[in-house]
Amino acid sequence: MAESKNTPAVLRHVLQARRKRRLAILLTAFFIIVQIIWVGLPIVMTVLWSLVDPNHPWSYPNMFPEKLSWGQWAYVFKYTNIIRALRTSYSIAPLAVVLSFLLSMPTAYVLGRKRLPGKKLFQTLVLLPIIMPGMVVALFLSRVFTAFGLAQSFFGLVLAHTLMGLPYMIRVLTTSFEAIPQDIIDAAENLGANTFVKIKDIFLPMVRPGLLAGMVFAFTTSIEEFNLTFVIGTPTFETIPTILYSFLGYNFIRTNASVVALIMMIPNIVMLFIVENILKSDYLSASLGKL
Amino acid sequence: MKRNLAVILVMFAMTGIAFAAGPAIDLQTASWDQIVAAAKAEGTVTFYAWYFPDYFKEAAADFEKQYGIKANVIIGDQTANFNKAIAEKDMAVGTIDVMIVGGQWVKTTTDLNLFYGPIRNILPEANKMPSTAWEVQEGVLIKGYLAPFHRNQTGILYDPDRVKNPPQTWDELVAWIKANPKEFGFCDPSKGGSGQSFVHTAIAQIAGGLDKYKGDKELVPSKVENWNLVWKWFNDNKNNLTITVSNNDSIIRMNGGEISMTVAWDDNVKDQMSKGNLFKRAKMYIPKMGLAGGGDTMGVLKNAPHKAAALVWIAFIQSKEQQLKKFQMVGAYPARTDLTAEGTLLSEEDRKNAIPWFPAPYKDYMIKEFVKNVLMK
Repeated sequence: MAESKNTPAVLRHVLQARRKRRLAILLTAFFIIVQIIWVGLPIVMTVLWSLVDPNHPWSYPNMFPEKLSWGQWAYVFKYTNIIRALRTSYSIAPLAVVLSFLLSMPTAYVLGRKRLPGKKLFQTLVLLPIIMPGMVVALFLSRVFTAFGLAQSFFGLVLAHTLMGLPYMIRVLTTSFEAIPQDIIDAAENLGANTFVKIKDIFLPMVRPGLLAGMVFAFTTSIEEFNLTFVIGTPTFETIPTILYSFLGYNFIRTNASVVALIMMIPNIVMLFIVENILKSDYLSASLGKL
Repeated sequence: MKRNLAVILVMFAMTGIAFAAGPAIDLQTASWDQIVAAAKAEGTVTFYAWYFPDYFKEAAADFEKQYGIKANVIIGDQTANFNKAIAEKDMAVGTIDVMIVGGQWVKTTTDLNLFYGPIRNILPEANKMPSTAWEVQEGVLIKGYLAPFHRNQTGILYDPDRVKNPPQTWDELVAWIKANPKEFGFCDPSKGGSGQSFVHTAIAQIAGGLDKYKGDKELVPSKVENWNLVWKWFNDNKNNLTITVSNNDSIIRMNGGEISMTVAWDDNVKDQMSKGNLFKRAKMYIPKMGLAGGGDTMGVLKNAPHKAAALVWIAFIQSKEQQLKKFQMVGAYPARTDLTAEGTLLSEEDRKNAIPWFPAPYKDYMIKEFVKNVLMK
């Protein structure tokens, strides 16, 4: 119904509400479509490809696989060291997260709260490992690791994964530290809070959402790290990406790659859901003034 | 205290030297039995590959059963394997004993002097492999340093439901490409050997055959002067051709129906077919105009910690039983000349159309010039 100057106020209200509802529906539909195309469809395709029966290829002009089976999964578990790789990957990642947290906290605090000459330069420098091509970083760092006797050792791998996760952790935590209002710190100091109390009751609770986000980045970076692990870790250690790349690299085999991709993806998705829930409860406590 | 420290340091250095020296025997002069005994004393071998995880895992189990030597098989990515080997080049003792060598890496690794050798004179059944395969790989002189273990061949792969009369000559192929725009695909030659093979054939057909390059150790500029005609052909037909990003991408695009004819390696095709990535109706042949073939090799790293075991592993893979097992499991054509394999994608009649590569300097130049004159235009 067209709106005019003579339309009564109530009707105008109804029309406005209807327009808002339509917009909300349109935006929701757009979001769902985008999610389906960008996230849902690739996952569905990956699942389908991982279930293609080896004797019944999924080929043109078939829209769907002729027959599904666990054949590709059986192949991956039989002929690759995936179990050993899973064990190694999920042992390294939590340790790398803890270590990157411990190492990044002081740096992030200084970059986020202190006045420092050349601060911008430092902020860019810490991002270098993720800006440079992975294999280049791996080849140069492997020399350092070998020189210090860290190649082919579990601790060396944890350290390597920590280095790869550090840029994300530092970046996110720096932003979190920057966002803490100075008033709160001043108030705490006026009330006699010492450094320990400030860290425990102000800094840590307020950077918690950033910390969790940084941990997610550091964890997924560790789980997905290939180049440095391959150069300094194999043959003693194999992680999930070293197996994924054997099917995804030069010798691309879509069916087997799909299986390994899913093996790598499922625990990460579960972890993201858990962290998302923790973050939500965090927002809630923040809104209730419990920080 | 200082003296004790010096003694410890000398002991460490001696241990390092002992490790770096590898087995106590001289592998070049020792008998095969002595080498096997040394390999058993080493107790383990680490092998890097980037394909056939199924076959190599089973071969490792067979190897351990036969010799009591543990074979640690790492299936990585081709580029990553070579980058790792190159990164460890200057270490006294590396972590890789033996690895598969193929593609453009043959030249790179040979130039870098990465491998121990020659090993042709050491391996007991070396004479069962084709003599040429010990001398030249990918147009590079390998002088018995790299051991052939399987042969492969490029051919034209097509969907018989969509291609009724596959072309045999260059003119027939050109006509087919014009009549079926975008349906013929080949891999970017800088990304895979099947693409190199197609461009190599195009050069042979357009720029006056391959005989003139024979035996050249360096590129002769006058011989490549007319290659501009080849690049012109590719540019003129760019809109009718599909250039893919890897050997397997060509096969996958055919499976998806995007193209109906492509150049591919026979072992890649068999592997993709057995894993449900390519329809079983696909057919393959070597056209009369010719396509190049080759085969990968295995090399023992100069700083391998278990050189004797690496040599025994290669001899084991070259054995009749393993060559047959490899063929039965993954369809890779045996390297041995005393074995004929039945049921291959390419018939013996087809194989007569196979042509040898021109020397490596031309192949290198071909890849660079294709990227510069075709892909970047």
